[in-house]
Amino acid sequence: MTETAIAHPAGDGRPVSPGAGAPPGTPPALELAGVHKAFDGKPALIDAGFTLRRGEVHALVGENGAGKSTLMNVATGVYAADAGRELVDGELVRIRGPVDAAAAGLGMVHQHFRLVPRFTVAENVRLALGRRAGSPAAAAALVAAKAEKIGFPVRPDARVADLSVAERQRAEILKVLLLGARVLILDEPTAVLTEQESDALLAFTARLATQGGSVVLITHKLREVAARADRVTVMRQGRTVLDGAPIASVSSAEVARLAVGATVAPVARPRRAPGGPALTVDGLAHRRDDGGVTLDGLTLSLREGEVLGLAGVGGNGQSELVACLAGLAAPRAGSVALAGRDITTASPAARRDLGLRVVPADRFAFGLIRGFSVADNLALAALRRGRYGAPFGVARRRIRRDAEAAIRDHEIHGAAPGRSTGLLSGGNAQKVLLARELDDAVRVLVAHSPTRGLDVRAAQAVQAAIAAAAERGVACLLISEDLEELMALSARIAVINRGRIVGEMPVEDASAAALGALMVGHA
Amino acid sequence: MLDGLVITRRFDTPTWLLALVFLAGIAAGLAMATALLVAIGVPASALFNEVIGEAFMTASGLAQTLTFATPLICVGLSAAVALRLRFWNIGIEGQLWLGALGATAVALGDVGPEATRLPLMLVAAALAGAAWIALPLVLKLRLGVSEVISTLLLGSIAFLFAQHLLFGAWRDPATGFPISLAFDASERLAALGFGRTHLGLPIALAAALLVWFLVDVTRLGFYGRAVGENIEAARAAGVPVIAVTCAFVLLSGALSGLAGGLIVAGTEHRMSLTLGAGYTFSGIVIAFLGRFRPLATVVVAVIIGGVFTASDVFKVFYGISEAVVVLLQGLVLFGVLVAQFFGAYRISRANWGASA
Ligand SMILES: Nc1ncnc2c1ncn2[C@@H]1O[C@H](COP(=O)(O)OP(=O)(O)O)[C@@H](O)[C@H]1O
Ligand SMILES: [Mg+2]
Repeated sequence: MTETAIAHPAGDGRPVSPGAGAPPGTPPALELAGVHKAFDGKPALIDAGFTLRRGEVHALVGENGAGKSTLMNVATGVYAADAGRELVDGELVRIRGPVDAAAAGLGMVHQHFRLVPRFTVAENVRLALGRRAGSPAAAAALVAAKAEKIGFPVRPDARVADLSVAERQRAEILKVLLLGARVLILDEPTAVLTEQESDALLAFTARLATQGGSVVLITHKLREVAARADRVTVMRQGRTVLDGAPIASVSSAEVARLAVGATVAPVARPRRAPGGPALTVDGLAHRRDDGGVTLDGLTLSLREGEVLGLAGVGGNGQSELVACLAGLAAPRAGSVALAGRDITTASPAARRDLGLRVVPADRFAFGLIRGFSVADNLALAALRRGRYGAPFGVARRRIRRDAEAAIRDHEIHGAAPGRSTGLLSGGNAQKVLLARELDDAVRVLVAHSPTRGLDVRAAQAVQAAIAAAAERGVACLLISEDLEELMALSARIAVINRGRIVGEMPVEDASAAALGALMVGHA
Repeated sequence: MLDGLVITRRFDTPTWLLALVFLAGIAAGLAMATALLVAIGVPASALFNEVIGEAFMTASGLAQTLTFATPLICVGLSAAVALRLRFWNIGIEGQLWLGALGATAVALGDVGPEATRLPLMLVAAALAGAAWIALPLVLKLRLGVSEVISTLLLGSIAFLFAQHLLFGAWRDPATGFPISLAFDASERLAALGFGRTHLGLPIALAAALLVWFLVDVTRLGFYGRAVGENIEAARAAGVPVIAVTCAFVLLSGALSGLAGGLIVAGTEHRMSLTLGAGYTFSGIVIAFLGRFRPLATVVVAVIIGGVFTASDVFKVFYGISEAVVVLLQGLVLFGVLVAQFFGAYRISRANWGASA
């Protein structure tokens, strides 16, 4: 988190007075007080509170696991609180589920959208509204009219499965508004959006607030939201540590400190001089099953001890590149060489034997096994190297001891060797994966968005682990959409756009503007 | 009424709770089964005597139970091995038919010297079962065809194939019934001298030990769990996914085939068209009740064998139908599966706005 004041930039055109739409004396649109909630005895909310004024955009920030989603799920009746009280427009309410929430004018857009992919937008709206939506044609008209009114393009007859993430999010917001929401709660809405899409969404929420709606914006990315929110509430470990401060009155550094409970030092860029060639990708081409081109002659090379950053807007071939490098997808053309040996058609196992390690963007897709214990996940890859004995037995005790050491060395919180990996928080699960992939035999690390969705401290730990690996001589390909992260760690930054490298520069020459232009350019 | 209840997922379920929930599930299933039997006219007072007494406490009943259990152990292991990989083998009966046919072919064809005839029959049974599951396996690996459909349909084809042989080449010429000629003495598994139990029982127990060793001790077993949980993650971690899948699935088919071989060589001593019915269902029930653990599978198979014995008594004395046997197994499974919910979730009273 950089030390920038988060007051509205001058000339922004937004009213600075909080709750501009509501006359003084209006009761809060939503008020939660003294909320307690435990999951299976583990407290998630401890005396948490939150007050939302009419006509404001209110940022709710905090690290992963701070309890932001849980608090809003309590407010909308998804979870039942153990104690606490809730007022809507000054009236004590008891919200027991989605029907009550809609009746009280509360609408929430969850991190995972609640739309039926095979239905069109209008059909999803009919599903939510029931009889009120009327005939299919009436529902489509309703969607079109509302979209028009709020200046938010949504095609009623588009199938949700065919929509981009940003479009799905709009459809979901529209559905919630049509259900009668006067309080719109958005759970980490910008986490899945590109910068341009985020800007459009934030402009929309600001507009909604000036029209008298109230918006809760849950996030752990401060910077982008700061300019558009009126007030901010900070949560840490289930408690409200800053309750509705006007955004102009706090700096982003202060908010970050409150959210984390400590200041987090940025990771230093590895300084080691690069060694010999480690990974060479030459003219790699790949297509989806439906024929769409994903990689179009991609070429890059990586040397020992070097971090090469690969910037790009998501969906430009990054996932396919990772799959091809891991040996899980077959390229149509081109070659991949590891330390001079061709591995284009090698099995994932053979690549591992040569020292290639992969951290995929979705750590539970082809990284970790959710149902496995932490110890078993850590041991899985080392079994074939014979670390845990001959094929006819598995040295359980040794697996356990190694796991205990890894949990200690990598500071994996909440983990025990026998604990199911799926129960860990995102950051700690990522640490398990890194602990496994950055073993003694690693030579090349391919990491795809390794800090996405992690809170500041966990992200810092992951970045530090990558930097330390590079210092040890590991060649690292860091694929990320986070330019700040790329510029902090990489020696060189290449840009991927539509499946090819469209530019490359030493980090000294790189700027967000230059990279951004290459990322969105139609070269 | 359920309005005031809150359901929360448990992070870790203690072992005692798992055991309690499991036993409670069995108890609930048995209670439902009892209600069913009483409803169709079996006097409640007779139930205990018949089930516990007849199936487990008398020598002849216990022997009968163990005889039933012998192939049940094998099909239970077969289902458990496949399900560990999330491979739904719904064609256990098909592989069992092929196993029985394989053993019968060796017996009727007098293949090899008499001394090796029995081992050869059982090997043929296992190989035939494995071969029968190989087709769905290849279809799944190569073309992504769902094994649920392919194994199920191949089960019917196997039965038709058995019919074809028994109404044709293998029909008993003396009676004209669709059964094969009886096997020679050298083609029958030796009796253990306890009712109709035969050498098949120790063979099935040895199979259970072998499966336990493979899935719970060896690296292959570790890999199998990984493939079952997340095949892509396993592949990326360097697990030889194809080899592991083939090993587990072929083992599943071989175990079902072995069950067929043990039935013809151990109890029937000839091929018939009635010997294989119902084993898919029983196998899956046993695997689930044994939670896919090989040694637990043995225990459950013996209990289900007892249900078979008791049902025979019910059939004779109270005229209940074959379908009721299936229903009884289903009820117990249902009880256990529903009870698992209570191990995974905590249920408490809601407490909305307590301080309000
Ligand atoms: N359904 C649930 N079951 C068990 N624990 C949960 C559940 N939802 C949230 N938690 C736990 O509650 C805490 C707060 O989580 P959450 O509200 O999702 O945090 P945030 O949204 O701030 O990232 C975390 O420790 C999380 O693991
Ligand atoms: Mg959340």
